[in-house]
Amino acid sequence: MELVTSSAVLSYFTKMEKDVANLYKNLAEKLPEYRDTFLSLAKESESNVLAVERAYYSIISDKFEACFIKTLNTDDYNIKVQMPSEIKASEVLKTVIMMEENIQKFILDAAKSISVLLPDVSWTLNRIGKKRVDRVTKLKALLSKTKE
Amino acid sequence: MSVEIIIIIIAYGEIVFKKFKSTLKIILIRELNMAILEEPIKEVLMLRNYIGGEWVESKGELIDVVNPATQKVIAKVPRSTRDELDAAVEAAKKAFPMWRDTPPHVRARYLFRMKEIMEERFEELARIQTMEHGKTIDESRGETRRGIENVEVAAGIPSLMQGYLLQDIAVGMDEFCYREPLGVFGIIGPFNFPFMVPLWFAPYAVALGNCVIIKPSSEDPISQVKVAEIAEEAGFPPGVWNVVHGGREVVSAMLDHPDIVGIAFVGSTPTGKFIYKRCGETGKRCIAQCSAKNFLLVMPDAVLDKTIPALLTSFFGNTGQRCLSGANLVIVGEGLSEHEFNAFYEKVVNAFVNAASQIRVGYGLDESVQMGPLRDKEKKQRMLTYIEKGIEEGAKLVLDGRKIKLVGDWPHDAFLNPTIFTDVTPDMFIGREELFGPIASVMRARNFDEALEMIDKNKYGNAASIFTQNGKWAREFIHRVNIGNVGINVGICAPMAFFPFAGRKESFYGTLHGQRECIDFFTDRKVVIQRWF
Repeated sequence: MELVTSSAVLSYFTKMEKDVANLYKNLAEKLPEYRDTFLSLAKESESNVLAVERAYYSIISDKFEACFIKTLNTDDYNIKVQMPSEIKASEVLKTVIMMEENIQKFILDAAKSISVLLPDVSWTLNRIGKKRVDRVTKLKALLSKTKE
Repeated sequence: MSVEIIIIIIAYGEIVFKKFKSTLKIILIRELNMAILEEPIKEVLMLRNYIGGEWVESKGELIDVVNPATQKVIAKVPRSTRDELDAAVEAAKKAFPMWRDTPPHVRARYLFRMKEIMEERFEELARIQTMEHGKTIDESRGETRRGIENVEVAAGIPSLMQGYLLQDIAVGMDEFCYREPLGVFGIIGPFNFPFMVPLWFAPYAVALGNCVIIKPSSEDPISQVKVAEIAEEAGFPPGVWNVVHGGREVVSAMLDHPDIVGIAFVGSTPTGKFIYKRCGETGKRCIAQCSAKNFLLVMPDAVLDKTIPALLTSFFGNTGQRCLSGANLVIVGEGLSEHEFNAFYEKVVNAFVNAASQIRVGYGLDESVQMGPLRDKEKKQRMLTYIEKGIEEGAKLVLDGRKIKLVGDWPHDAFLNPTIFTDVTPDMFIGREELFGPIASVMRARNFDEALEMIDKNKYGNAASIFTQNGKWAREFIHRVNIGNVGINVGICAPMAFFPFAGRKESFYGTLHGQRECIDFFTDRKVVIQRWF
């Protein structure tokens, strides 16, 4: 799917992060040993949505129009936010690590595509994208401790 | 036997066809649901006037409000009568003494409440603008935010309206100056920003203790009905905030009415000029913000990959229906040889045309759409005439927006794709007059001075921008250009609510502008010299 307006990027990002939050909440129930980490990631995803919505809705104005962003194609990122079919801890962690890495790439590209006309949204996305590294690090640390 | 087979085939075929049809329907519905945001207006609204805190049905003729993208009637708005305007003035006049005596910080609280409700209904307000005007959802959200920002600034009135005092102008004597509200003001809104523009004035007027009568554009009056609903919910006393729909009859009645002390108008120059003159004759204050022909200069050192998106938004944002829209793109060859200048000109034109040709046009509630229709089919017809005129005058049509290409299956009535002319000169009609649509005229200027001269010779003075990395050119531009709103690497230099919305030459009649500066417009100063025996 091609995203050519800020509104479309916002909708896509919001849905994606909400799905990610729900995924981690489900995983927290299914894998109680990682409950705290998964719930903190879910919470962070929810606050990411708020941060981007706040940046978009409070700064968007007819001074910096939002309709002409550099096209983003979501197919390029292979983002799959779904419950892994295998509920084996190591497989789950590998799947979500890959998902987080793809999401990070998307968010950083989205930040670039919006940067000329909506600098505040771009700045927020960039911050969220860069922080995604910490999430991957956390998940990788869990994976390294997993014996399965 | 063969008959039986045929019956079986027909029956089977019908089942398959029905199944196919229902599947197709599901696919189509799903596609549409994915693309189009939900419309907040579900049935035809019958609009009423808001007078003295009551929703009053008008006796005037009803006219259709049409969604320009779908061509469906979404509301019916009355052409109110002179008597109805008189009733609104009467209600406002009655409310004024009590309202002006309400402490400023208490008046401000009504605006805080208003802002809260606007935030709660933000998305609904934005989508209504798209439905009644045609702009994209991003643009409508931008307009909503801009409108709310004016309410926020006006809520700071206890600080903003303060006067000043000097003690001891002589022994035992002090002098002070403070502001007083004046009474009832009329606000006449344009079609291009149906939500925001009346909010350039109304929140300040009421925060200062005045009462207002808003006449929204009859082409897209729904937003101001919603704003009045919000004013009502915020608890403004009856008569402080009024809305009277209508056309020329209501405007004339406003201009003639002895109890209206001032008019704030945004619209075309001929109408603005007329209103300004009438206000002079009837002793009213007047702000008239009018037409424009805005020049955007691209210097040889401009950062092109960042300049092109800014040009797109300037020329084609809001479908070119903005008094701050780019109209003339001037490519400047300062410091370049003839050969280099030609190459630079070609490069900019190609990048601009290529980007503009890819703009997705359609219904603004579709998030994949970057430009909506014109407000109505009459405006499109006007654009078609201008395009013909441009061709006749010898300009080169390099991007022909008459070839309609839309996202979605919408009636073509009000749609025009981005259109670009090159080889335009400042004396041609399309280079000289306001078009107010998605038509860009590209010009050449051999050097910086020649470009400035082009701007100077044009009768309008609303906005101008320069794209450059050279501080000296930018500084010279700011200093020398006789224009109200100036952009440096900004395509739409729209002042924020806490700055005045400037404008000069035939783009503006009056002395004080909208937004923050109208605090002076809506008040008079009283100077007191006192001593006590």
